[in-house]
Amino acid sequence: MDSRLYFVLGDLGSNILVGLFVGWLCSLIVATGWNMAFTMILTMIIGMVIGTVLWLPLGILFGAMEVMLPVMFSGMLSGMVVGMWATMAPLEIYQAATAGSVCGLVSIVIVWVMNNSARGINYCEGES
Amino acid sequence: MDTQTQAKWDKAAPNFDVMAGKGAEKRWRPFKEELFSQMDGKILFLALGTGLDIETFPSGKTITAIDISPRMLEVAEPRIASYPGELSARVMDVHDLEFADNSFDQIFTSCTFCSVPDPIKGLRSLRRVLKPGGQLFMFEHTGSSYYPFKPMMDLMTQLTRKIGPDMNRPTVDNVRAAGFQLREVNNLFLDVVKTIKADNPAQ
Repeated sequence: MDSRLYFVLGDLGSNILVGLFVGWLCSLIVATGWNMAFTMILTMIIGMVIGTVLWLPLGILFGAMEVMLPVMFSGMLSGMVVGMWATMAPLEIYQAATAGSVCGLVSIVIVWVMNNSARGINYCEGES
Repeated sequence: MDTQTQAKWDKAAPNFDVMAGKGAEKRWRPFKEELFSQMDGKILFLALGTGLDIETFPSGKTITAIDISPRMLEVAEPRIASYPGELSARVMDVHDLEFADNSFDQIFTSCTFCSVPDPIKGLRSLRRVLKPGGQLFMFEHTGSSYYPFKPMMDLMTQLTRKIGPDMNRPTVDNVRAAGFQLREVNNLFLDVVKTIKADNPAQ
């Protein structure tokens, strides 16, 4: 992860915001009793698309790939979790928004962990 | 000249700095400064775009820059003029470089090969104008091998290539395929944003 506070807070805020918004939106779209597998796929796609759209303003402030990939992932995860939950029981707006925010937070933490293992020199002269 | 690519980037030029000039540049600046600090000798830089990278160039260097888009270079003019060294910019297609063989000691790229339509042909063209033993330094974003980012980037590329760059280029493989000898790959964000260093092997 980027250690500069501006980007740490930007990454956290962007992903929580996207998760919150996608969670709220999916709770409005999905009705109790919908087919769970269908809903999961639908809300994952919706979440990913919303994440991509929200990346445009967030990316101006906080970066390109470093924002785009996590917020698409946050949108996908929030959509999946909230969408599936909404098929089982009616959700209050605050429940959906909270669940979405948590998904956003989990997503950026996963990306940070993946990034810490991926970054650094992974090829030097002499290796095949 | 690839007029289709030229038209795409000419269209993007007026608003390019709004999207790329703030967060992305601020995030990437330390990495670019470190990479470009290795500039030495006669240097070719591509693609200059609106000149956002110029602030990260070390001063006092002799740099020839190219870009396919004349509109981009128009936006870059004030930045080119303020560079404390010799910096000239020309409209040129990387596939058809107008320089003589073995013209440059080093070549630098910055988010370039996500957008070159035929990247291997473009890289071979760079090899031609780079002296034997010359060095290639790249700051690039590429595709990812990680799930779920790989399918996401494949999907995004279907949209982004119409207005800008591809998101899923295998640039490290392309560098090898073009005949360069890979020296170092340094991942800066996941396996997506990276610096690549390679040499033009002596014939």
